[in-house]
Amino acid sequence: MKNNYVRLGGILFLIAAVSAGLLAFLNDTTKDLIAQNEAMASMDPAVLESVMPGATMFNDYADTALVDAIKAENDKFVNLQMAVDASGSELGTVIRTLSTVPGYGGDMELFVGISPDGKITGLNVVAHSETSGLGSRTTEPEFQSQFIGKDASVEIVEFDALTGATKSSKSFLSAVNNAINIYNQHLKK
Amino acid sequence: MNKIDIFKNGIGKENPILVQQVGMCATLAITTSLLNGIGMGVAVIAVLTGSNIVISALRKFIPDEVRIPAFVIIIAAFTTIIDLLMHAYTFALYQALGVFIPLIVVNCIILARAEAFAFKNGVVDSIIDGLGMGAGYLVAMILLSSIREILGNGSILGFGILPEAYEPMMISVQPPGAFIILGLLIGLVNYLSRRKKA
Repeated sequence: MKNNYVRLGGILFLIAAVSAGLLAFLNDTTKDLIAQNEAMASMDPAVLESVMPGATMFNDYADTALVDAIKAENDKFVNLQMAVDASGSELGTVIRTLSTVPGYGGDMELFVGISPDGKITGLNVVAHSETSGLGSRTTEPEFQSQFIGKDASVEIVEFDALTGATKSSKSFLSAVNNAINIYNQHLKK
Repeated sequence: MNKIDIFKNGIGKENPILVQQVGMCATLAITTSLLNGIGMGVAVIAVLTGSNIVISALRKFIPDEVRIPAFVIIIAAFTTIIDLLMHAYTFALYQALGVFIPLIVVNCIILARAEAFAFKNGVVDSIIDGLGMGAGYLVAMILLSSIREILGNGSILGFGILPEAYEPMMISVQPPGAFIILGLLIGLVNYLSRRKKA
């Protein structure tokens, strides 16, 4: 009887070990390709255009000490970049951040573009797990257009939430506001 | 049971959604638009067929007593493998289907077929069963999601087909609408299949 438990446990262990080994191996071989794919997707011209009209590239922010400082105090902050156009001149800053209020499927991740005169130039949802057809409508221009051109010197309080997707809308707003706060504390001149 | 019967079984008599009613949570949640329905259906065909192959091939090796945990590990591993491979090599497809892949792990139709079919039948039959059940799942998903998209959004695959004057029924794409429409659909299928018998 006792031997039987050992046998059953052993077989289960073998299946689990083989599965885990296979997954570890695959994770290792695909890791770089996946990161590369994701980076390319976020550099999609359509994404650049929607965050900062006219932008052809997001460059890493020159002041890396500042980026590290923001990272240290704001755990939802992801990255700070500079949007440049085809001639290389700087168009504004791009803050990549998670939402501070979770939506239905956890935090959403957004690009928030802010022009040098402190206006929101555009938004793009990089990653989200909201319900398709409901919360996912936060990714559409119809919803996002209400934020574009807004003054980034104060948090946005009033906005039109999507019908049937209030929670996702609020999560979206919290990410925008997190970017606004970062802008005001560190970037505003 | 011959091979054609195994395939037809999945679409008609033992349709996973309309007759067996397994894997409901993903079905109800995802069918807000036809594109989603097709995406999930295609993803299920791939994972179901794959897990059926592995489980039927290992059926003599896996002891009866621990078969369920073994299935769970195999299915979860298989789904993750597909997820990683798609993410790395077919990124465009991953962007369209990616959100459905993790949902498949919790889709009990995969486990149900492993238990009811693949564990008792050979590899070839299990492949056919996976394809048939997957096709039945896809057909039901297409039916449910197109009804919900038309009523709730006035469109099909994102193209508006109803006149502007049509006021979309929001409830159709919300969770309660999913239950109501699926219930009506199952009722209709029962009515039709009974009338055929009589």
